[in-house]
Amino acid sequence: MKNVIEVKKLVKKYGKLSAVNNISFVVQKGEVFGLLGENGAGKTTTLEVIEGLRKPTSGKISVLGHDIKHGINSIKQKIGVQLQSSAYYSFLTLNEILSLFCSFYPTCVKPKDLLEMVDLTDKANAFVNNLSGGQRQRFSIIASLVNDPEIVFLDEPTTGLDPLARRNLWGIISKIKAQKKTIILTTHYMEEAEVLCDHVAIMEKGKILAIDETHKLIEKARNPYVIKFIAKNINKQIFKKISSYGEMSNVFGKEKLFELRLKKQGDVNHALAYVQKLNPENLIVGSATLEDVFIELTGRTILED
Amino acid sequence: MFWRLFTTDIKMLFRNKQSLFWAFMFPVLFTIIFGFFFGENTSVGSVALVNDSSTQLAQNLDKSISDSTLFRVDKNIAENDIKNEIKKSKISAGIVIPEGFGNLSPDSPKSVKVIVDPGNAQANSVITGYVQSYLTQASFQIQGAKPVFNVDEEKTSDRTLSYFDFVLAGILGLALMNSSVIGISVSMSRYREDKILKRITTTPLKTWKFIVAEILSRLIINVLQIGVVLSIGYFFFDAHIYGSIFVLLPVAMVGAILFQLLGFVVASLSKTTDAAQGMATAITIPMMFLAGVFFPIDTLPKWLYSVVQYLPLAPLLRIIRNVALEAGSPFDNPINALIVGGWIVVALTFSILKFRLSDE
Repeated sequence: MKNVIEVKKLVKKYGKLSAVNNISFVVQKGEVFGLLGENGAGKTTTLEVIEGLRKPTSGKISVLGHDIKHGINSIKQKIGVQLQSSAYYSFLTLNEILSLFCSFYPTCVKPKDLLEMVDLTDKANAFVNNLSGGQRQRFSIIASLVNDPEIVFLDEPTTGLDPLARRNLWGIISKIKAQKKTIILTTHYMEEAEVLCDHVAIMEKGKILAIDETHKLIEKARNPYVIKFIAKNINKQIFKKISSYGEMSNVFGKEKLFELRLKKQGDVNHALAYVQKLNPENLIVGSATLEDVFIELTGRTILED
Repeated sequence: MFWRLFTTDIKMLFRNKQSLFWAFMFPVLFTIIFGFFFGENTSVGSVALVNDSSTQLAQNLDKSISDSTLFRVDKNIAENDIKNEIKKSKISAGIVIPEGFGNLSPDSPKSVKVIVDPGNAQANSVITGYVQSYLTQASFQIQGAKPVFNVDEEKTSDRTLSYFDFVLAGILGLALMNSSVIGISVSMSRYREDKILKRITTTPLKTWKFIVAEILSRLIINVLQIGVVLSIGYFFFDAHIYGSIFVLLPVAMVGAILFQLLGFVVASLSKTTDAAQGMATAITIPMMFLAGVFFPIDTLPKWLYSVVQYLPLAPLLRIIRNVALEAGSPFDNPINALIVGGWIVVALTFSILKFRLSDE
């Protein structure tokens, strides 16, 4: 696979603060690459340096074979950028905004086709202010597609959306992927990164803590397997047995809901045999999530603000 | 690419109620208000005339006052009611010609009574002066004498010019200043706040093209502004415009560019749209008065005048008035052109150094 973005030893400092501190990664053609982390982890700064909006303090970045120092103008023609919480002209209709942005590029996609792709055809003559949050976000994504870009940058595309609108957006992102475009996105939703991304880099305080294919990252969790169950009768002896196979915990103060995290697949069957004896309700056997990996790496969970 | 941006910018300006207000409603309101006060006939209002005398002199004075365009004459007010009517602001003054006035017999009255409101200095001097000079003439005629001394009035211009003409030229400058300084600074700050400017920089569009399209589209608005203000003044309030519109327009465009650049300076200095709005108002409102939109600024104390005459709007207004009212050239007084040019250089340099579409 071909690398479309190569970032080597990128550093971005604001005064003494290092917003991005010596990170390196590559993004391959056609994949969805996710930068995952809390607010202030350096995700947006990293994206904006690659997009040419900010100058790196040091490091080397090439996009589609062009060095960003010299080739930014050629790069800009081939990338599409959706900025975090960006608004669009208030006095233009969706159609007019798309046509205007179209005119900045040598080639462009018909506004009609773009609107159709995200079910906004009937809003073509509406103003951005008259759209719902989800519609606005869908619009800002297609606005980044007007030039039929090879790489699409999406900065927190789903932040602030309700669960339904978020899922709708996931569908759109997979449609873009199906068009053989490379997508690099930032998010602080673990399950989103897990669902969408082929590769994930977990960032904290300007550094990359872990980077790998998404499923491999999850497999790297200290306890990759999870058994969850609700026990009505709490038998201390059986509990002791079960606990010997992994880490047992009581979930967030729900007295009867238990979670057992295990290291080895073989232990899962043994533990399950004991759990069955408790006559459990709502027994779930699953794998660790990206969130578990994140918590293990950073020692905490992401708090939404 | 550029043409689409330019036409889209114009479309947006016309859809933006705030920009339309500053560009059109505000100057038009001022033109109409000043037009009603000072335009058309430079009347000082109504004057009650009570003529109780039937002599030739009294009749001639009566006719002269009635025919004057300086004031409207109301003959249906009784002498006793005059003071009340003045207090109620129904009339500005009263003139009473007493019975027997004009008879040369020693016991007949020798003076005409003029009743005025001390608060209305302009009406007082016009009416008292008018009656006074008429009677002085009459006295000389009766005595068969000729005045020994005279005033030889020489005007700087042989054109008829009124205070309204002075203000109208001021309003042109005001309109250019308000719509440009406020318009550019507020819209640029809002674009920056909404990250529209940042979004633009992710496209291959060159920054200078974006800014030039913005400036040119606003110049179109400025041309319309000037057309509207001048037309209202000229057709509805008989303004006297002697200069050529083809000299006036380029002068106005240079002024508009200067104020747009000041708008960019304000946008560079303010972090938020609210701050830009506040700073733009803080610049335009004082300048409106101190640069001479409504009053000639040479009546200010000398120390103040020596400062405010260099405000960006002041030399521009001097040029606009010289061109519009005196049919002069913009370079008649090169100092004015130099000050305007100087401000343009300063504002342009500052904007180039400090104005950014994105954070870096």
